[in-house]
Amino acid sequence: MKKFFALTLVLLLGISVLGLAQGKIAMVLDVGGRGDLSFNDMGFAGADRAAEEFGLELTEVQSASAADYLPNFRNLARTGQFDLIIGVGFLLGDALGTVAAEFPEQKFAIIDVDWIVGPNIINFVFRENEMSALIGALAGMAAADAGFAATGVVLGIPIPVLYHFEAGYRFGQDWGLKKYEELTGNAADVAMLYTYTGTFDDIALGKAASEAMLAQGSVGIYNVAGPLGTGDHEAIVEFHDNAGTTYGPPFYFGVDANQDYFGQGQHALASGMKRVDVAVYSAVKSVIEGTFEAGVTSLGLAEGGVGISKRADLDAAIEFGVAAGVVEDTQSARNLIVANWTSNRATVPTWIWQAVDELEAGILDGSIVVSNANNDEEIEAVRAEFPLD
Amino acid sequence: MSPQEAQRKSRLLRGIHRTVTGLHPALESLMAAVVGLLVGAILMKIWGFKPWEAYRALIQGAYGGGYELSNTLAWATPLILTALTFSMCLRAGMFNIGAEGQMYMGALAAVCIAYFVLPPGIHHLVGLLFAATAGALWSLVPAALKLLRGVSEVISTIMFNWIARWLGLYLTLNILVDPIRSEKSVSIPTSARLPVLVEGTSLSYGIFVSVAFALVIYFLLWHTATGYELRAAGLNPTAARYGGIRNKRTMFLSFILGGMAAGLAGATIMMGMPPTYAAFGGFPQMLNMGFNGMAVAMVGRNHPIGIIIAAIFFGGLSSGGGWMQILAGVPLEMVNVVMGAIVLTMSIPELIRVFPAIKNGTYKLIRSLRDGKGKAVEEGST
Repeated sequence: MKKFFALTLVLLLGISVLGLAQGKIAMVLDVGGRGDLSFNDMGFAGADRAAEEFGLELTEVQSASAADYLPNFRNLARTGQFDLIIGVGFLLGDALGTVAAEFPEQKFAIIDVDWIVGPNIINFVFRENEMSALIGALAGMAAADAGFAATGVVLGIPIPVLYHFEAGYRFGQDWGLKKYEELTGNAADVAMLYTYTGTFDDIALGKAASEAMLAQGSVGIYNVAGPLGTGDHEAIVEFHDNAGTTYGPPFYFGVDANQDYFGQGQHALASGMKRVDVAVYSAVKSVIEGTFEAGVTSLGLAEGGVGISKRADLDAAIEFGVAAGVVEDTQSARNLIVANWTSNRATVPTWIWQAVDELEAGILDGSIVVSNANNDEEIEAVRAEFPLD
Repeated sequence: MSPQEAQRKSRLLRGIHRTVTGLHPALESLMAAVVGLLVGAILMKIWGFKPWEAYRALIQGAYGGGYELSNTLAWATPLILTALTFSMCLRAGMFNIGAEGQMYMGALAAVCIAYFVLPPGIHHLVGLLFAATAGALWSLVPAALKLLRGVSEVISTIMFNWIARWLGLYLTLNILVDPIRSEKSVSIPTSARLPVLVEGTSLSYGIFVSVAFALVIYFLLWHTATGYELRAAGLNPTAARYGGIRNKRTMFLSFILGGMAAGLAGATIMMGMPPTYAAFGGFPQMLNMGFNGMAVAMVGRNHPIGIIIAAIFFGGLSSGGGWMQILAGVPLEMVNVVMGAIVLTMSIPELIRVFPAIKNGTYKLIRSLRDGKGKAVEEGST
């Protein structure tokens, strides 16, 4: 009888523990929301994965305008139902910081913000300069090799996060051009064209900026403005249509998510991946497993937080495109992307890819330190060091 | 269309007009709101959401308690002012679509006060004064173009919105920029921030600025000779001119007052909206507040008191909309569709009323364009 009693007790406990595990997490987004195929969708990929794996309920709140940030966080915190509230994006920082101070018992996570800290906030920042250096080196060498006059970068609003990209890219292109001179003995005169469009949602502006750069002989466009990438890519596709070319420069360089599947993989040479999904997933995991620790976590190449896309990443990227509804869910569509991607990559000589790997290895073992910038003054210094004009 | 057909059509329109406007305005709005809610409910049902749950979240989230009501009023604060901009000019017989741009300029002017050190109180007044002046100045050019050269104010104010947006972006990121955080302008210091009225909410003393301005406009329009002239000129400019009213003066006045209201709207956001108290590139905190003001003015029947009530209704939709996402799991896109349905049905009664004015304005515009073109061809041929 006693045994039976104990068994029932254990069973009951088990059930109640399972019941408790039915937690809730909330995610607050900037005005962009789902469907940018980039930053926000990466955040969702992480939250969706965590919710599925740990059996959590995910509430997503998209902001209608920036005036919504503060009420959204406050409303969520006031319900007291959420194990973790995640803010995805730099612009949400101030609002999250205010609410985190008002609700000390509530746990928060924020991506791309390191200046707002608190005992209940876990911050994730990325060393975007590291993967941008790889893209810059690749673009610079490809331009020099194919006889192009410039490389192009289309950026969003001039915020410190984007300065990481620009500084790294400048360093990388400079490194790549030096490498080219060293290996070929030819002088490399490749400029860097860049535009801060001042927007993260006006896709037409991305296209216009890209067209201008392509007209000036740019070997490709690196998208550093999330959703604007679809506009950048469109400009490149039109350029190829007019020239009657299928593969080769000008190339598209994706950002945040692996965007190599864009346009059936014909023109996307590589992507600078920023694993927002990894950050979101690990934040949720730490809360569920009770290892939540406030403070800033910096993710770079070494931590797998950023990287340049490779063949091994392509299949996951295609599935990401399928899930987003921009790639057809058939095997032939998948095969076509892989075939296009391989043919397009083959237009860039092997020694360039080896040089990119060399730079990556150098950053990983610490022998190469990539420039970085966190404010206007620092980015000006980097611009002066690597003028690339 | 033959004249008979045209007559029949206009008679039909008048018939609809009379049927709808025969009701008491409040009853009419209530009916429109019910229809709008029903349409929204049907839409939500079709896409598989629970309308009952969603509306409960909306109403509770908007008016369910002190916290919720405060946030609703915080949303209403700038809307009252931008709605006044539109309705002032409509009362004087013009369509001023420029509240958005005038609000941006007011916001920029309010940010400028971060550069002076003044005691609280005076600092607030200077900020409001700056913003009102900037808004008025920004509306001065379209007003002058209209009065001196006959340029359609609809087109010029829309153009000026874009100029304000990009000028604002440039100024925010290059001139007024925060030296440490380059994505925003300098923050307004505590001595010039409108204090938060209810702790833990976004409601600031800015609500008093809005309501006071609305009451001033009400007094001006219905209890002074100038207001009478303004309304008369709006109702029938020809008759007004015949009666000795200087139409240009009343138009000018309505533009200036409207610009002041929009400028103040910018100030209440910059000086009164936590947590940053600074402008960001592209003004994401106040995006579309100027345009939404037009809908508020329509629902509020272009009457200052009606506008206050309508703004509280709209504020409720904005703050309750957030709760629809949290409590009912309705995504923002669907929330916006439902809001759109409600706003549309609620604006219909007033839209029908101002329809003849819109029609005449459009005809006049087309005619002037055609005449202008005809003239150009003539000149070209000689």
